[in-house]
Amino acid sequence: MKKHTVKDLMVPISEYATVPLGTTLFDAILALENAQENFEHGKYHHRAILVLDKHNKVVGRISQLRVLKAMESAETDYSHIEQLKMYKFSDAYISQQREKARLNCKVFTNTLLKEAAKKLVDDFMQKPTPDEYVSELSELDLAMHKMVAGAHQSLLVTQEDDIVGVLRLVDVFTASFHAMKELDIS
Amino acid sequence: MLEIEKIFKKIIQRVNINLRDLGFDVSPFVIGHVELEQMNKFYAFYGITSDIPLNLKFTHSSLAGSYFLGKCQVTNSLLYKSDIRGDELKRKGCTFQYKNYSIELTEDELFDISTSALIKTLVHNFSHDPESPERFFIKNTLSLDYANIHGSPCDGCFLGPFATIDLTSMRDCAIGTYSYVQAGEINHLDVQPGTIWVNSPGHFNFFYQFPADKLEPYIHHIAGNKPQGLLVDFIDSHKESFNKVFDTANVEDTLQVPETASLDRYAVVQPETEICENVLVAQRAYLENSYMGPGSNAQENCFIINSHLQGCNVTAHGAKIIEADLQQNVFVGFNSFLHGTPDSRLSVGKGSIIMPHTIIDCKEPIEIPAETLVWGLITTLDELEDNSISLENLSLVNTSIQKKNMHFEGRGAAFVDAFNHRICHILEVNGAFFHQHNNNVKGHAQNNRKLSLNNIQPFLFGELQGVYPNITILPPREP
Repeated sequence: MKKHTVKDLMVPISEYATVPLGTTLFDAILALENAQENFEHGKYHHRAILVLDKHNKVVGRISQLRVLKAMESAETDYSHIEQLKMYKFSDAYISQQREKARLNCKVFTNTLLKEAAKKLVDDFMQKPTPDEYVSELSELDLAMHKMVAGAHQSLLVTQEDDIVGVLRLVDVFTASFHAMKELDIS
Repeated sequence: MLEIEKIFKKIIQRVNINLRDLGFDVSPFVIGHVELEQMNKFYAFYGITSDIPLNLKFTHSSLAGSYFLGKCQVTNSLLYKSDIRGDELKRKGCTFQYKNYSIELTEDELFDISTSALIKTLVHNFSHDPESPERFFIKNTLSLDYANIHGSPCDGCFLGPFATIDLTSMRDCAIGTYSYVQAGEINHLDVQPGTIWVNSPGHFNFFYQFPADKLEPYIHHIAGNKPQGLLVDFIDSHKESFNKVFDTANVEDTLQVPETASLDRYAVVQPETEICENVLVAQRAYLENSYMGPGSNAQENCFIINSHLQGCNVTAHGAKIIEADLQQNVFVGFNSFLHGTPDSRLSVGKGSIIMPHTIIDCKEPIEIPAETLVWGLITTLDELEDNSISLENLSLVNTSIQKKNMHFEGRGAAFVDAFNHRICHILEVNGAFFHQHNNNVKGHAQNNRKLSLNNIQPFLFGELQGVYPNITILPPREP
């Protein structure tokens, strides 16, 4: 059985969609589209965008779900619902109100789409947590444990203090399945 | 620096220290708005009657244009045109029920106002704080125009203009303009303007938030300015009539008032007004061309103009009723503004409850059905639909209900019962039921007839101008 390291499977950061802080949501999606067109690594497309600071360090990540969340919350202002907590309404009542507000929220209108497009990535990116980093020299076992434990779609691959790539769930899954198939299980 | 300025500066500092956790600075709301040079222009006055314990103690304070009744001490404070009404303070020997505790009073309760500035504020009822049953304290607190402190001891608080705190012990809180809070006990809360909150833990929770842009034309208070809006303009337009009653030594009785009713000497009554039996009209109330049916009342700072109140109508402190017809047992809560016009009158059906701080400004004739709960801001029939519910339907609510900006959680029946019980109690203590039942027990309407008033004056010149001498007023005793 072939022993993989993280480095073998990662997508180098140069092939990944990256945008600097201060980029709008719309430009970030264009960057992702552009990265997907230039990416020939298997049949799976990139699904996330990395956000870099002025020193080119990765400071955040935007998944497709994160983009949808930013678009959805363009209209929904939950502050009036959140304040009910201060006025001693129950958690159950507040979450019921939040859900009601979400379901009533319109997303696909010209005005709201335009409004969402102008949002800055700084405001809705997800900052990486310590368990989302993995060294490029680590074995795949460790990377898989981290993905399962943290329910991560990808991990940031480090080389000393730098981020050098992204290890995607889809690539770890494919490698695991291939390893299983090689065992000739029937 | 004048002594009055030193007192004021100290009050501002104390309130700000208490509100530091909220990051709330009261200075911009009061400096420039509270005119200290006015403080030596008005006399203070107090009521004496054999029915209410007399014990007044004023120390190092200014009391301009304020009224005192009952047991009260004021220390290091500024009171401007405020009413400190102690006719409902608890008495020695009585029992105050708080949850499972029966708390017996070992002495008469008193108002204890210290290091506080109360501007055109009403203080009434009794302390509902079980930890302080004999002392209704107002300490390190600043309240602005037409605020109501009702049964609510306060320590380190700010009340914006037209704010009401009702039956609630309050520490280190800021209550925004035109907000109403009745919640038992609150600490470290910054309540935004236009918030209506009635909470009885374990029973029900009512909340309404005025849309800021809709409330603004009626009342708003921007830091650095005076309170502004239609409510202020409305009151100012009637100022002259009050100046007359306060400037005149003896007011001529021009209106026939039944023996069981009382009309305060500092109320304004314009023709053609009719006052029936068991009616209470408090000081600073304004009546014009209106019918006050049996057992109705108009409390402090109320205006009732071109209106017909059929009977047993409670018009709570600061409520205004213009061009309206109210059937029996309608309750109009604190600082409400019911504004009909000759072409678009307002009519309110029997037994309806207008929540405290409700604005009904009729753009078309509006008819509120009997037994309805109404809240918020209403100008049309459509808005009435969004801001009301029948008491019957509310009583059926067992979990929650939401209508636009109104949220309710808990048992609707408990809410309706609590309100009805309280309205009945208010009518009883005001004397609305005198002679009908209750063994002829009198209320304020009957007792206030025996009230006489005395004036006290501040220093007019020098360092102490506007400050009153230290005064203690006690019932007469043999030497």
